[in-house]
Amino acid sequence: MRALLAPLFVLAALPAAAQDFSAGSTAKPWNLYAETPAMFDAKVVDITCEITGDCPADCGAGARQLGLLRSVDGVLVYPNKNAQAAFSGAAQELLPYCGQDVQVDGLMLVDPEIGANNIYLVQKIRAAGAADWVEAKQWTKDWAAANPDAAGEGPWYSRDPRILAEIATDGYFGLGLEQDAVILKELSE
Amino acid sequence: MKNLIRAGLGLFAAIALQPATAFAEGERMTVTGEFIDTWCYFSGVMGSTDAVVGSAHHTCATWCSAGGIPVGLLAEDGTVYMVLKIEGDDANNSGNTQLTLASDTITADGLVYKRDGLNYIVVEKIVENAGITRLTHEDFGAVPPFAIPEAN
Repeated sequence: MRALLAPLFVLAALPAAAQDFSAGSTAKPWNLYAETPAMFDAKVVDITCEITGDCPADCGAGARQLGLLRSVDGVLVYPNKNAQAAFSGAAQELLPYCGQDVQVDGLMLVDPEIGANNIYLVQKIRAAGAADWVEAKQWTKDWAAANPDAAGEGPWYSRDPRILAEIATDGYFGLGLEQDAVILKELSE
Repeated sequence: MKNLIRAGLGLFAAIALQPATAFAEGERMTVTGEFIDTWCYFSGVMGSTDAVVGSAHHTCATWCSAGGIPVGLLAEDGTVYMVLKIEGDDANNSGNTQLTLASDTITADGLVYKRDGLNYIVVEKIVENAGITRLTHEDFGAVPPFAIPEAN
């Protein structure tokens, strides 16, 4: 009898970290310490809504972080990163799919020692049943459209008005302009 | 024995099929910690966890916050709380409030939640803001190095 019931309890208690979602994944490696390829079906949800029950329309219309409620086990996966090497998150990539079922492919990060559980880098998305994938590389295009006056050379983060305002106020090290100048001088010597 | 097996299957079904939308009650807590960018902290892409906090990483933290990478509150005991709201501002994707607080160490009164291995916090009130307290530039310079202008 124990032999019959034991597998059921083991399955029920199986931590998400131990599950393997790599089958069929074509995710590109980033050579991160804790990464594993992971492709899975999920529903796109507003994380704040999912956690607290505060649920505005349209998943917050871009103001909020979005999550992936994994279909097979109900685990809430947190997409931290899109597929661009540009200091850009994943929420805008997922926003067109708010409330929808999707399939995603990317990299799962699990490093419990530092609190990283179900952290995800999404590389491509497709609506449930769709044939074609959409690469999660829209962020910089959206930024450029929203910041036409910031056109010019260099990556977006070197031209972003809000970032430039922060640096102009507190310096690169956030300690004030006077101390910032001292540190920059020391580092250049 | 059949009844026991049925009970086992029922228990499994109850666990497996529990509604995903059951909202947890938040636990009121006071947390002191630093607003960090969680991608650099969790991924190690910029180096060790010691290098991606404080003054060394401040500019990168603003890049990541503006870029929509989730902000976390790194508590003194090493726990990371994913930030849901700050004093009523629910814009946790590239919002202005969290951007202006990048790298600051604060004491927060808020509601804490746990789900699927992650901790979350709704910061209801910032009781104290000590500014940037980890002077990590003394050990690491700027992280990444291209966060500051090249020396002439």
